[in-house]
Amino acid sequence: MKKNEEIVVESKLTIPYNYFAGEFASRFYDELEENHRFWGIKCPKCGRIYVPPRQTCGPCFQHMEEWVNVETEGVISNFTIVRYAEPGYQPMEPPFALALIKLGGADTPFVHLLGEVDPDQVRIGMKVGAVFAEEKTGDILNIRYFRPV
Amino acid sequence: MEMKPVRCISYKADLVYRYSAGKAASRFLVDLRDNKKIMATRCQKCGTTYIPPRSVCGQCFVTLNEWVEVGPQGTLTRFTVVQFPFWDPISGSQRAVPYVLGFIHLDGADLPLQHYLEKSDSGDLKVGARVEPVFKTERFGTLADIEYFRIVG
Repeated sequence: MKKNEEIVVESKLTIPYNYFAGEFASRFYDELEENHRFWGIKCPKCGRIYVPPRQTCGPCFQHMEEWVNVETEGVISNFTIVRYAEPGYQPMEPPFALALIKLGGADTPFVHLLGEVDPDQVRIGMKVGAVFAEEKTGDILNIRYFRPV
Repeated sequence: MEMKPVRCISYKADLVYRYSAGKAASRFLVDLRDNKKIMATRCQKCGTTYIPPRSVCGQCFVTLNEWVEVGPQGTLTRFTVVQFPFWDPISGSQRAVPYVLGFIHLDGADLPLQHYLEKSDSGDLKVGARVEPVFKTERFGTLADIEYFRIVG
């Protein structure tokens, strides 16, 4: 036995979880997965178009049911660069960019990853378009990422 | 628009972490790995033998320097047959159900050690049963170096 050997215990906590996307987000995901299109929803009172869609308009408390397709391209309204590596649950190898993207025709920004771009070149106002995954993922990664257009 | 069932979204997050076992547990784990021995610390004031070993007696606040070998055999003091497995926070995996989790009062120790037991349908799995550890061939200095305890006699 090595004298005074210090043991480091290597451990892994696995957290599997499920959640129901609900009626509106399910429809949004279906459209993404099957038709590579984005559903937005329009408030009958203020006219704001929400992407992703939600059931009730926050400011107006109006139930929304007017579904509208928005563009698959949009503009970066804000972003951050993830530089630390945390194995196990990051969607991409750091450094990568996470951006708020306002799709053409939408009034709210949508969070997703940026790809095919040097993270240091990302700017607010940059025009980006969705790149869809080749295989169905069942979740938001049906969009692989957005890339500059 | 045609109504479809709502989606269930599934994710799995793996949180990898490590911690220093400290002096007392390090010695315990090294002996387990290298010598297949179960070592405990004993309080010289109250005589309590701690397993897993700790470096200070909780009752007497005395530093524990006396090491004693306990077991390897012991007595099963309580157990449960697990049908709904938890995610092991050490390995990040689930054990195939059903499996048995028990408290083993090792000979010479004053506290029970929690570990897995060999599943047995023969009816000899009961409180008071005599058990012994089954060590893995390849050991890495973790409590899992003992694969499980099995019933003897």
